[in-house]
Amino acid sequence: MKSIDLKSILNFSAFRPEPDDPSAAWRRRFPAERTVFFGLARMGLSWREIGRGSKIGDREFVRAEPKEILTQSGDHIKPLSEHGWCAISMNTRYVISLETNLSRRTGSEDMLKTNARSVLGGRFERGKHYALTHNPETNSSILLTIDEDQARKTESLFTEGGFRIGRICCGAYALLKHALSVTNTEKGADNPVSSFYIVCCEGAVCALVQEQDRWQELRSRTDVYEDDLTPITDLLAPFHSRLAPEMGITLISDEPLEGLPERLATAFPGRTINDLSQPAMLANLMIQN
Amino acid sequence: MQISTRQIDDFKNDRKDITPPLPVVLRLVPILFYCSIAVAILLSSLFALQFQLAIQKRDAHKAQITSIGAKTQSARNDRAALETEIKKATDIQAWVAGSRPLQPLLVNIARSMGARSSIVDLRLDRDADNPAQIKIALRMATDSTKQLDDTVEKMATLKYRAFSPTQSLGRGELDYKATLVQQDPLTLEQPTPETPQ
Repeated sequence: MKSIDLKSILNFSAFRPEPDDPSAAWRRRFPAERTVFFGLARMGLSWREIGRGSKIGDREFVRAEPKEILTQSGDHIKPLSEHGWCAISMNTRYVISLETNLSRRTGSEDMLKTNARSVLGGRFERGKHYALTHNPETNSSILLTIDEDQARKTESLFTEGGFRIGRICCGAYALLKHALSVTNTEKGADNPVSSFYIVCCEGAVCALVQEQDRWQELRSRTDVYEDDLTPITDLLAPFHSRLAPEMGITLISDEPLEGLPERLATAFPGRTINDLSQPAMLANLMIQN
Repeated sequence: MQISTRQIDDFKNDRKDITPPLPVVLRLVPILFYCSIAVAILLSSLFALQFQLAIQKRDAHKAQITSIGAKTQSARNDRAALETEIKKATDIQAWVAGSRPLQPLLVNIARSMGARSSIVDLRLDRDADNPAQIKIALRMATDSTKQLDDTVEKMATLKYRAFSPTQSLGRGELDYKATLVQQDPLTLEQPTPETPQ
């Protein structure tokens, strides 16, 4: 046993997960340490401080090349994190798709990291990271795909900027999973849920049609909108004719988008809108999970 | 249907040597360590306090011993002084007791003095080595040796016999020296001196 191990036992850090342990929630990794949460878009970077006790700071956003932002504003951002630890939400260069007949073996979602081929079969591509959410009532699954190169480039970008990466996640995918978990809470098929899920996160939009617990259609685009929200309604408008008449809308975004519920009410008249969006929604989810 | 939220998927390239946190129950190890340090500090403080108190007690006892020693020495000195006094008193008592048998002799010598005689000087010495012998040195103011005869006769009534007597008469004084030995002093009854008429 080295002296650093003894030190970690005596200061109780050995009983906490390591800062880059992906299996641990963020607040367990950094219970009393300030960190930074980045939102990475193709042409912009947002950040907010996550203070001690998981207190979330205000969001700042700069529209420019992320590399330039880190170079120019790095000295402004770095003090927000005590030891440089940060979490990154990748909101660009990923694919969320609806798949069917994927392996449902026990632990298949965990096996994606070690042996994705055995889970995805013919859909497996080398050099990709995957995440998977199964529909327990049907054979469909939501599959998130991210290029390993892109993840590696993102790591390099922030490492060169003087940060230490604690987590790289996909904000839209995390929000979609959260929306599904909030609305689908009853086991079994006795009370099937129908809803049109709309996820907006840092310019990325994901739409999922769930009818009677069945996932019917999923559409995901990145870098759709900036300040103007019109591209969102333009992207979602084609769904109007395909949705069942009684189907409501479940909206979730990383930050409440001013005017979006009204636009959706106009674009989808007569449908109830369940807006799950809250300030710092994604940051809260990231901390709690 | 129910979809449970698991942890957020992480896409960074994980380190290979990430170790899981130690079991919570093992928190007892550092807790006990810190408790033992706290107890050690507490006990050390108590021991230090006790040590200081013991030093103070020791110093107090030393001071008490010194004080008692001084008192004891003073008492010893007082006792030595008392013993000296006692010895003197005992000596006086012994002298008085030792001179008591000579008192009838002195009284007889004094009563033997005639009307025209007087004792100028009388000395009775008893040798410690030979206490039965009494050396007498008598100087009388008299004009004849008859007075000496009367005195010797009076001493003889107390069964004192004079050995090696010497006498000299001159200028109205008579010096008489002799060694008196009492014959059979154990059988001698102490005659009550007669009251002079």
